[in-house]
Amino acid sequence: MTIQENRLKGIFTEKKGKKIIFLTKNLTPGKTVYGESTYRAGKDEYREWVHTRSKLGAALAKKVTQLGIYPGSKVLYLGASTGTTASHVSDVVGNDGFVFALDFAPRTTRNLMYLCELRKNMSPIIADAKHPERYAGQVTIVDCVFQDIAQRDQAEIFMKNCDAFLKKDGFGVLAVKARSVDVAKKPKQVFQQVRAYLESRMIIVDYKELDPFEKDHCIFVCKKK
Amino acid sequence: MVFQIFSNCIGTFLFKDGKIAAEKLFSDDQIISYHDKVKEGKEIAPEKDMLSKNAGAEVLRGKIPPGPVLKQFSEAKYLKRMREASIIITKREIAESVRRDHLIIQASNNIEETDKVINNLAKRLREWYELYNPEFSKSIESHEKFAEIIQEKSRKELLEEIGLKEELSMGAAFSTEDLEPIMRLAAGITSFADLRSEQTAYVEKVMKDLLPNVNAVAGALIGAKLLARAGSLEKLSLFPASTVQLLGAEKALFRHIKTGARPPKFGLIINHPLVSRAKSSVRGKAARMVADKISIAAKIDFFKGEYHGDDLKKELEAKLR
Ligand SMILES: C[S@@+](CC[C@H](N)C(=O)[O-])C[C@H]1O[C@@H](n2cnc3c(N)ncnc32)[C@H](O)[C@@H]1O
Repeated sequence: MTIQENRLKGIFTEKKGKKIIFLTKNLTPGKTVYGESTYRAGKDEYREWVHTRSKLGAALAKKVTQLGIYPGSKVLYLGASTGTTASHVSDVVGNDGFVFALDFAPRTTRNLMYLCELRKNMSPIIADAKHPERYAGQVTIVDCVFQDIAQRDQAEIFMKNCDAFLKKDGFGVLAVKARSVDVAKKPKQVFQQVRAYLESRMIIVDYKELDPFEKDHCIFVCKKK
Repeated sequence: MVFQIFSNCIGTFLFKDGKIAAEKLFSDDQIISYHDKVKEGKEIAPEKDMLSKNAGAEVLRGKIPPGPVLKQFSEAKYLKRMREASIIITKREIAESVRRDHLIIQASNNIEETDKVINNLAKRLREWYELYNPEFSKSIESHEKFAEIIQEKSRKELLEEIGLKEELSMGAAFSTEDLEPIMRLAAGITSFADLRSEQTAYVEKVMKDLLPNVNAVAGALIGAKLLARAGSLEKLSLFPASTVQLLGAEKALFRHIKTGARPPKFGLIINHPLVSRAKSSVRGKAARMVADKISIAAKIDFFKGEYHGDDLKKELEAKLR
């Protein structure tokens, strides 16, 4: 077994044949979240970050140079769903960091709840990301805003949250689903449009299109000016 | 000096130039009772109290507080309590999110699934039973009736009903032991059929209570299926008629958008008697009109308006006559 530390802090890799898989150190050893494989190395357990199940995982597989999420980061995660990706974010930030995991669907948040009860660095929030003033009482200023919601005005929602909760020089990470913004437009056009909007307020430090893992999706890693 | 008062999910705080100068932390019980009020932008008792001691302080309510205020809560002790509070609040919100339209949706989906199960099991039953009695099966189309009657009557009796002698049948001789599992399967199908009719009665009852207007215009089962596709009464009520008309045809619609294939004209609504019975030349128009009325009915039901079901239905029937 040759688990290695990645250049990105809090991320680990392992060679599997010719392929490289990404891992995070499991904060709750013995417990997996979505059927991912685990690997042991000494006392520690690592969970595979399955790149076909998670947009952030896909970004890693596409060699993103910055994740915007580090050990110790406080993260506002918008669109946490059942917590597939959020659980890895929780692993990366560790017990010195924190994840505010928000979603507006009560049914999926039920599964998220089980996760938050196990992980002491995760807090569940049911709210619409469009209305930051409604959950301002359940969060703090954060080092990173991560957003993965399929909404037409996802870029505006993202910006609103960065304005409200992201510290200066903090990272904003936005996953864009072209089809939710505009079904008729070509994905590239949509991405271009979102880029122009983001650039008016933030510095884009990395950008990856996520196909073939996530069709017609891309991810922007930005820094708040 | 700037004095500000801010309440979040863990307590009420007095800020002096952006630093916490006084705090009233909530107990677990208070967390729940204050949360709704704070979210609605209403004043809560601890705020009133703090304001009386610090006249002139600005109360930050119903808006996003400035960064320096929010930053104070990143301290570990506050974060820990915030997590506890959010877990309490979220659990209650999940419990309260369950409404009766969700129950209709579960029952309606279950009816669709039960139909599939009955269909699959009945096909197996017929294959199996036909080894023993091939001729009778074709005389009865309804799966449910078929399952029932083969439990009640012997092969000899059934063959007589279609005017055949048992000795001349193509069926094999079966021992009681070999017949038994077939009869158990038939009994299982009968009990699924009973389940289906009980659940149908339940859906009809709750639809009538909760969506009386949709129920009158669409019928209970179609109404319930539309509700299930929409996801909730609220969503159904917000859909324009053109969307209601296509609910249940999402795949075809998507194919149309992606590949330019012909757009679907109707979804589930095709099963509505006024649409299915319409001549094919006017079926599209009928679907549009029925969808239109269902959409109006859903809006009335969502806003708990009066019952107009009979009028809506009559108007529709008059137009489509
Ligand atoms: C594609 S899923 C996210 C998957 C998740 N990020 C993962 O990788 O594990 C999108 C989620 O966003 C949520 N969502 C969509 N719009 C939202 C909004 N306005 N506010 C909050 N959550 C929203 C949906 O309920 C859904 O769970």
